[in-house]
Amino acid sequence: MLRDDGLLVQKFDKLLIANRGEIAMRILRAARELGIATVAVYSDADRNAPHVRFADEAYHIGPPAARDSYLVMDRIIDVAQRSGAGAIHPGYGFLAEREKFAQACADAGIVFVGPPARAIGIMGDKLMARATVMAAGVPVVPGTTPGQTDAEMSAAAREMGFPVLVKAAAGGGGKGMRPVSSAAGLADAFASARREAKAAFGDDTVYIEKMIIEARHIEIQLLADSHGNTIYLGERECSLQRRHQKLIEEAPSFVVDDDLRRRMGEVAVAAARAVNYVNAGTIEFLVDRDKNFYFLEMNTRVQVEHPVTELVTGIDIVQEQLRIARGRRLRLRQEDVVINGWAIECRINAEDPYNSYLPSTGVITSVQLPTGPGVRVDTGVFEGNEISPYYDSMISKLICYGETRGEAVLRMRRALEEYRIMGVKTNIPFHQHMMDSHRFLSGQFDTKFVEDRFSMDDRDTAHALEAALLATLAAHEQNQRAAQLVAPGARDTSNWKWYSRWERLRR
Amino acid sequence: MKYIATVKDQEYTIEIDADRGILIDGRPQEVDFRRLPAGGVTSLLMNHRSVAAVVEERSDHWEVLIEGELYSVQVQDERAYRLGRMRTTGMSVDGEAIVASPMPGIIVAVPVAVGDVVQRGQKVVILESMKMENELRAPCDGVVTHIHVSAGASVEKDQPLVGISQEHDEA
Repeated sequence: MLRDDGLLVQKFDKLLIANRGEIAMRILRAARELGIATVAVYSDADRNAPHVRFADEAYHIGPPAARDSYLVMDRIIDVAQRSGAGAIHPGYGFLAEREKFAQACADAGIVFVGPPARAIGIMGDKLMARATVMAAGVPVVPGTTPGQTDAEMSAAAREMGFPVLVKAAAGGGGKGMRPVSSAAGLADAFASARREAKAAFGDDTVYIEKMIIEARHIEIQLLADSHGNTIYLGERECSLQRRHQKLIEEAPSFVVDDDLRRRMGEVAVAAARAVNYVNAGTIEFLVDRDKNFYFLEMNTRVQVEHPVTELVTGIDIVQEQLRIARGRRLRLRQEDVVINGWAIECRINAEDPYNSYLPSTGVITSVQLPTGPGVRVDTGVFEGNEISPYYDSMISKLICYGETRGEAVLRMRRALEEYRIMGVKTNIPFHQHMMDSHRFLSGQFDTKFVEDRFSMDDRDTAHALEAALLATLAAHEQNQRAAQLVAPGARDTSNWKWYSRWERLRR
Repeated sequence: MKYIATVKDQEYTIEIDADRGILIDGRPQEVDFRRLPAGGVTSLLMNHRSVAAVVEERSDHWEVLIEGELYSVQVQDERAYRLGRMRTTGMSVDGEAIVASPMPGIIVAVPVAVGDVVQRGQKVVILESMKMENELRAPCDGVVTHIHVSAGASVEKDQPLVGISQEHDEA
């Protein structure tokens, strides 16, 4: 079935995954469980990546830079045709929210595992999205229309009152977005937002939006089939962000009760229906301290943080995406969706929380994943994997489940301790510090918490002495071994043991 | 053999002696240390307290990962330690602190000029890498003496970007 808004749904038996890293692995697993054959694509940087090994077939698509490989639409569609794949799953990022790509798939008779091209187009343009959902009765944050002059935007900003946000019309993921607290900062914000928007999206149109104070970022996960059924799978709390990049997500939210969940869910469904949405999607809302909620944007794809919803609803969102794309009806009605327990996700990034969260590049020299009850790790990295500047810095997602929020937090603490990644610096200490913080434990945080009121400076690093001893012993062992090369025949010292009188520290 | 291990700003004197065993800051400790063949794990029993770690050598230091926290450890024998104390870390010979690129990327902006007085923590370079704009900050108070790059330049890891001479304490 090909709809005139670009939606093609039909059965397929082979799926191309137009992505890399953990999300490629996630999709490969879902496809395998459903008995669908899989095709991976890879750049020069990813020949050794697990998604290449995990797939039934793999095709090289170009050099490391995404614009020369994972973003080249023609090449990916060509691979689908050569391999006989009937569908393409874009994952998130890369081509996931390109209207042109969804349309090109449909034109080539290939199922795009996602919404109709037209829905991507509308929701991808923040201003058009706003107008569309407003017409459907969805509340939005006050703001300006696009294409206004700096003077007009400045006047509008003064009228709605500071602080305001300067945002890129084609933006996403926080790129091209700048908060401004007074009229004096506007000119700089316009310039830097335009520069970033131009570089990231090739379009430097910006607009202004009123900034909601003490805002929480709470989003509703939706599933919609091609037969007109749309349901919501509850909310995700995503307020813990840094520079608009989410770091920790949980489901459910500390501040959402049954009544608010139902109201947000129904509004989200209305927003999706306004664009005849099909497949998995997410409506992001800002929720203020009085629990008013405002439409922020729609993400027309599977999201990084989808696992927390999977754990509390028991619904496999990626499998549902594939079923919907094959033209099946949703098996669930709204009343079948029940939230059970609590799930928390920590995004493990290659960045240094002790040094302005600077990205850390290098080769992963060792990885040991946490396991045990209630722990899930979605990862695409491996020992020997180079974390390169070509792709984003997310290494994996650590997701923990508990009957209660408290239990989920305790599991997360335990799992973070178990997780060992060497070769690059990671933000695991940031997550540990957050899991120990009173504000997090009591659920009292907003989207500014990480940037404005959270510091790593007071982190107590308890094992400095042991670290010093371990490094010294390793260094000494190495010296001894070097000495043995000079004096062959000496005994093996790879395992050694010292005893000495144990003395209690007396101070 | 006597070593000085430095973690952050803390120094530990660690003696490994054939007769007396292991002494930390002069106090003997019961230590059992094993580098396990599987997965690069190292197991330490120190006075029966069990610590699991990954210990890896880098070019000029050791990295030790314990319970999520990565410790950077300088291990020096006594002689190297004394030599090392004669230099000031992070400074070139003429007392200039260098802000180097922590990773490959493209310079977005250099919001300072030669001669500017900067404070520790002040933004001196904006570097785009891994799809993000990253702010590189002054490591100390001082005066900008060199700017080696300009906006639009591609830089490699560890490439010097800005030099800052430390302000002299007039006390």
